[in-house]
Amino acid sequence: MIQLTPNSPHALQPSRAWWPFTRSRELESQLGLLADRAVRLEAQLKELDLRRKVIESEWSFWRNVLTAMPDPVLVTDSFDEVLLLNEPFQRLFGLTQEGVLRKPVDQAIPNAALVKAITGARATHTRGVRRLDLEVEVGGVTRMFRVGVTPIMSLPGGTSEGPTEECRGVIVTLHDLTAEREVAASKNDFVSSVSHELRTPLASIKAYVEMLIDGEAADDKTRRDFYDVISGEANRLSRLIDNILNISRIESGLVRVDLKPVNLDLIIRDALDVIVPQARQREIEVITQLSPAVHQIAADRDMIYQAVLNLLGNAVKYSPPGATITVSTAVDEAAGEVSATVADTGPGIPEKDLPHIFDKFFRSKANNQIAKGTGLGLAMVKHVVQAVHHGSITVESKVGQGSRFTFRLPVLK
Amino acid sequence: MIGKKILVADDETHILSVVTLKLKNAGFRVVTARDGREAYRLASEEIPDLIITDYQMPFLNGVEFCTLLRRESATSNIPAILLTAHGFDLDPVMTTAAGIRLTLSKPFSPRQLLQTVNELLGSDSAAPVAENGEGGVAA
Repeated sequence: MIQLTPNSPHALQPSRAWWPFTRSRELESQLGLLADRAVRLEAQLKELDLRRKVIESEWSFWRNVLTAMPDPVLVTDSFDEVLLLNEPFQRLFGLTQEGVLRKPVDQAIPNAALVKAITGARATHTRGVRRLDLEVEVGGVTRMFRVGVTPIMSLPGGTSEGPTEECRGVIVTLHDLTAEREVAASKNDFVSSVSHELRTPLASIKAYVEMLIDGEAADDKTRRDFYDVISGEANRLSRLIDNILNISRIESGLVRVDLKPVNLDLIIRDALDVIVPQARQREIEVITQLSPAVHQIAADRDMIYQAVLNLLGNAVKYSPPGATITVSTAVDEAAGEVSATVADTGPGIPEKDLPHIFDKFFRSKANNQIAKGTGLGLAMVKHVVQAVHHGSITVESKVGQGSRFTFRLPVLK
Repeated sequence: MIGKKILVADDETHILSVVTLKLKNAGFRVVTARDGREAYRLASEEIPDLIITDYQMPFLNGVEFCTLLRRESATSNIPAILLTAHGFDLDPVMTTAAGIRLTLSKPFSPRQLLQTVNELLGSDSAAPVAENGEGGVAA
């Protein structure tokens, strides 16, 4: 930069060597004014330079704001040309910054509906965001986006031409709705299944109560049967509500998981104390083959107990009299896992149902007649084993031969 | 005169028993089925005057087995009442095509069900038989 100070002899004060005239008083004063102006100009230049720096840093600040947005954002100017776009926008439409900057939107953006929305918003003279839903193909999959198109209006009265507002450009934001819609749909399925499951026992209770009120039960025995049905179905309803609450609380992480060193065999023995009498009543034999080696696992005792109880309870529920249930544990030193297996000689699960057997509310139609259930027991077992304890669960089954559920949990080191 | 015959299909034992008793007490003859396949077979054999069916059943659901009945002349005109515990509305085009005249949602009132049955079959179809005691009405 040129130094414009009054002390600089070369810049403003001409050298006497080539200046043949003596300076007049007038000339001296002119030179003085000129020097003053130079000082002021230099100060202004410095200020401008500072302002430029401020604007540059602000520009970089807002650019960072834009870049940090996880949703695709595009900004166009009053000529419908691309002014700014962030990385997510480039990725969504497969664009490069260099390829589209300063290009007209209809050439830059490969989506006619979006281009139409941008040019349409720019041509209007009203403020406010316009919303539209847009389907965009991403990697062969159609995803649904909620698009916001906002015209950038100049401040009212702020232009030299007059008081009319002018559109200086358009801001486009896209928000992927696909995941939100999927969550909403699965929640809807869950609510619909729950309400179906709750209505069924409630229907029995209501119908039998009304029959009693209407005097449709002819004798004491029939009345007693009705009371039994009402009581049984009320219990079923209550169990169902407990199960739904439990699984939803465990899944949402509301239940505190209390991981402590526990012995899997002891938990299984506790569950057997409950199950063996039930099995004996149905003439089902329970064989126990617990591993001689004792290995501790880090587990929530109550959750694992419930999971074992669910597996054993299913085996008893679905197996016919005379069937055998085998409970065994084993240690896999190499994998650092203990496993527990509940095998039965019951009706088995059809092959087509096996992939869904752990799904919430799924019940194999083939075995629907054999026993009642909520379709939540195995879903709970899977969640407890996999999500809570980082273990794994598998099922093998053959129709007419029986089922075999095995879960594995990491050994405590 | 013999009471009219009604086929009741439901995989819930308690519902099946309660509907059966309500109808028998009112003088109807009742045949029961516990799944859609059995209901289809029984309807074809027994040719009931009316069908009361659950929606969700093993093998064939209520709408499916009623739709199958439409295909055969002997069973194509049997009216049906659908009982459903599903909160959602079933497609009315499909249920109408299956001959379903009315859908009742569970929990339901047996009293209201009987009233609907009487309306569909004509109010004097069953009750007078039971009252006059003219001949057996038990199924």
